[in-house]
Amino acid sequence: MNEEIDDSEFYHEDFTTASDWEILVAHMEEIINQGKSEEKNESSTAAGLWEIKSEKLVYIDSNFDFIWYKKNCDEDLSEGSDDKSKHPLDKWHDFTLEEYSEDQFKDICLAKWYGLDEFLVLSPAGKIGATNNESRAKILLSAAAVVANNSSIEVPLFIQVKDKWQQVYLGVYEANNIRTSFDIVHLKRGLYYCQYLTGLLDLFKTKIRSPCTIENIFVSYQGTYQLQEFGNFIWKQDVLSNSMDIESLYILPFGVTVDPLQTLLLKAIWSRLSEHSVIDTESYTDFDPMKAQKWHCEAVFTQEPICLLGDALGEFLELLNNDSSVYDVLGDFAVMHVPESHPLDLLTESPVPSFSHLLSRAARSSLISNKRGNPPLNEGVLVPLLYFLFPDADENSMFPYGVKDEKEPIQKKFKLFQSLDDQFKGFKTSNEDSLIWRLSIVLSHTLQTLGGIKAFCHIWYEFVQEMRYRWENSMLIPGVTPGMPDLRTCLLNQKLQMLNCCLERKITRETVKYSSAENSEDSDDEFFDATDDVEEDKRKYSLWDKPAGRLSKFGDMKLLNSGDPLYIPFTQDPVLKTEDQLEEDTDILLKLGTNQEASELRARIMSASLLSDMESFKAANPGSLVEDFIRWYSPRDWIESEELDEHGQKKGTLSPRMQLEDNIWVEMWENARPVPANRQKRLFDDTREAEKVLQFLDFRTMSQISELLVPILSHAAICRLVDEIENLSSAIPDAESRVLSLLKHGERISRDTKFQPKRFEVFTQEVIALELNISQINSLQYKLNPQGVDDEDVNRSIGDLAHGKPIKIENKEQSLIGSRIVSMFTESQRLHSSSVSPNDHQDLPKSPDVIFPVAVQKEFVLRANCVRPSLYSAKSPQFLRAVLGKAEFRLVGAFSEDTAFF
Amino acid sequence: MMAGADPKWQKDAADQNFDYMFKLLIIGNSSVGKTSFLFRYADDSFTSAFVSTVGIDFKVKTVFRHDKRVKLQIWDTAGQERYRTITTAYYRGAMGFILMYDITNEESFNSVQDWVTQIKTYSWDNAQVILVGNKCDMEDDRVISFERGKQLAEQLGVEFFETSAKENMNVKAVFERLVDIICDKMSDSLDTDPNLMSGSGKGQRLTDAPQGPQTGNCNC
Repeated sequence: MNEEIDDSEFYHEDFTTASDWEILVAHMEEIINQGKSEEKNESSTAAGLWEIKSEKLVYIDSNFDFIWYKKNCDEDLSEGSDDKSKHPLDKWHDFTLEEYSEDQFKDICLAKWYGLDEFLVLSPAGKIGATNNESRAKILLSAAAVVANNSSIEVPLFIQVKDKWQQVYLGVYEANNIRTSFDIVHLKRGLYYCQYLTGLLDLFKTKIRSPCTIENIFVSYQGTYQLQEFGNFIWKQDVLSNSMDIESLYILPFGVTVDPLQTLLLKAIWSRLSEHSVIDTESYTDFDPMKAQKWHCEAVFTQEPICLLGDALGEFLELLNNDSSVYDVLGDFAVMHVPESHPLDLLTESPVPSFSHLLSRAARSSLISNKRGNPPLNEGVLVPLLYFLFPDADENSMFPYGVKDEKEPIQKKFKLFQSLDDQFKGFKTSNEDSLIWRLSIVLSHTLQTLGGIKAFCHIWYEFVQEMRYRWENSMLIPGVTPGMPDLRTCLLNQKLQMLNCCLERKITRETVKYSSAENSEDSDDEFFDATDDVEEDKRKYSLWDKPAGRLSKFGDMKLLNSGDPLYIPFTQDPVLKTEDQLEEDTDILLKLGTNQEASELRARIMSASLLSDMESFKAANPGSLVEDFIRWYSPRDWIESEELDEHGQKKGTLSPRMQLEDNIWVEMWENARPVPANRQKRLFDDTREAEKVLQFLDFRTMSQISELLVPILSHAAICRLVDEIENLSSAIPDAESRVLSLLKHGERISRDTKFQPKRFEVFTQEVIALELNISQINSLQYKLNPQGVDDEDVNRSIGDLAHGKPIKIENKEQSLIGSRIVSMFTESQRLHSSSVSPNDHQDLPKSPDVIFPVAVQKEFVLRANCVRPSLYSAKSPQFLRAVLGKAEFRLVGAFSEDTAFF
Repeated sequence: MMAGADPKWQKDAADQNFDYMFKLLIIGNSSVGKTSFLFRYADDSFTSAFVSTVGIDFKVKTVFRHDKRVKLQIWDTAGQERYRTITTAYYRGAMGFILMYDITNEESFNSVQDWVTQIKTYSWDNAQVILVGNKCDMEDDRVISFERGKQLAEQLGVEFFETSAKENMNVKAVFERLVDIICDKMSDSLDTDPNLMSGSGKGQRLTDAPQGPQTGNCNC
């Protein structure tokens, strides 16, 4: 068995003599050639700043990424046509303003250090892959050298060596008879003599070892100064308002709790100085930031600070997973309202003690008067909040409903939308500043700052108690749009509208009862019958057949039989439904199916109001026929002819469809008894419906409450954001599209038939991002432009900084931003020097006009053009960059040689 | 209360044999021929007189469009003034409206504007409307010319058809056109709003394979 030759293996044996190393080289060349041919075909229209192509390679047992970085630049045009032959080091990109996002492109540091526009990197695959072995590094580098030589790409090729975090690369470039070697030194602490320019120049010269004197070395320098103590200019949302003002609970929270700006970096830059024109030694330096050629500034932001608005939404998001009811959470504190379980109890003991005056409403709250311990919210907080929700309880309320628009004359800097309200057209929510709007704001505060879920339940409980109190005492609910349940609004709003409609009917009924009790001589009829011809009527009709419930005459129509005037009867008010009830009804209708019987059954179900109208009509028009009813109710089903009858009106017949056999209309007419609307069975039982609403509110679980409020909260959150955006001095460039996206998400959330928490989560994330941006701009504005000078450049700079872009400060300290930076540094230095003991003068030179602290990072770039390696060689570029940080010392070098004359 | 033990109801409730469901409404004045129109489309039958609709009724028809089964749930409404509050409650979630008048009846034509206002008030913004002048077989009694109808439709920015449920003219065309415009509108906003068609919670996404008991339902 063992001796059997595996055929497949046999035939796959590679008899070529190419080594792994040669295969690697061939692979790299192949990729490069392919890349080049692709490049010719495509016109580079890629969106990003850097175009990146990545391929995987295997060498022996290790995986490598071979990555091609190319900058999408159009500046080639300005640099002239001989650009191609130019050495990549000669771009003079010493300190650029570009943002290098290292998260995205791990090798982008090479572009920053050498100022390259295009380069290739071969690096070990994976996050921790390393080429620690020196001989291995050499093998790879020689592969790179062969590739650079063979393929005529004029692009530097790098090998990443050592541990990845060290970012150490070796590289090679070869073109136009010049070979450049790239080398990096990375140490924890710098060599002593390399801390200053003089030492570095010596090092550079030694390293070049040019056979003739080096003519001139160009020096560029960048010193980075960081500002972290902002003194009086620490910015928090709370800065503007007093922290625990009760009125701050009346709007949604906004902003961050720590300064979103962590560090402000100032970079003082000198470029292309001659080595002889500057001195930088331990004892003296020409590099005083105030005298720098350029200033760049960059902002470092606090990582994920807590954003209050987003956090408030997040609390609701969390609540969505909580299925306990209000009573579960409140436990003993709450007294469960058990409606009509013991009817006698209702008579003797009201579950909510009814006080005569509303002003004492807090006292009647059963929670507070409860002796079983302290309620979650104490009276001092609860009472103002309840007054805010129900301002009609206080005659002198500062916050009545429906007056907000008048007291808003503050001129906004700019308007994001012509009419924000229009943007909410498709939103199923409630009106701005309505009762449930306020309720959701208050509830979000309870979750966030006032004690969490317990406080939340407490407010909800009080809210429901108040609803019940108002129903039992026939008081309309404030802050609810009048009218029947509006299906375009959110469910909670519909429920309250429903409750208010029930209340209205209850109140009408009670006032009618009251007035009819006063005029007791009359019958208990609540309608005022049309009075004309009453006397005549009395003669005509017998006692049991007296007309009742007449609203008005219907034109000059007369009954067909008797010729008496045709009266429109009082009818029952329409049946009101909220959308959940409608959905149930629809489901019932749908479940019946589509056949003929089902159709008839549906007609029967729907016919209750028809029957009621018929009965009312019969009562108002004794002796009327179905024809009379149809003439009023469905005039198109009465076909008139030219002939006149004995009462002087046109004769006519019912339409064919009304004459059909087993016609539900005629059938019902025959069954209808003459009963005026007020004595009929109510089609809409307001007491029952109100109780349904109250029960609905009472027995919501946490997650259901949260669901009810999410649409309103989303609406309120967007309004809050827009408000903040419109007050910003520097516009967020994509603010409008971001708000539109929020609107779209919010609208969808509010309209989903089944609530989808995921959507709300996305919405919340977007809110947080925008809120953070706004806070960052606010913070920068507060620091850099505290007077709020309206200057386009300043605003743009602040906007750029907030977007993480470095900015150039024109005119340095003479500019507005520059002068602010100087004074903040001065302030910070003064604070610092007073706290530091005087003998600790190592970091702190004691001159009085010191403005800036010691640079946290110094960067030197030295460049020269030298003949190497021999006297008769051509001149080639030499380069050394030294990065001197606090915990890092890095030398980044590139040294060229003539490959033709050596 | 209606959910009885009758098996046919259950079958119907479980009938998910479609890719989308569109809810359509036929509205217009009393006796313009809404019910006849619907019967002609759904059952391909015509009776000169149907009992005047009480409240609201519906029929279902499944059509194919681009290899997708579209289930149309078509609600037929009572035209009488007194039924307005009941019927308008059903406007919500409707994706298309057939607004009908009777070409032999001036009043029904004059009410069109009112009906449009009703749609604007009670339906979602993206509902599609087609104006239909019915009973065009009754040329002798015609009082509304084709041009007047056309003009009004242009004014309202909706499409227009003259139809006859009796002669089966344009009935199918109206529904097909309405389905088309709803689909167009839907694909416009599909990437932004995949839930558009699930107004009733029963529709499915374009890309989703039909779920539910459809395979089990197949009796062949």
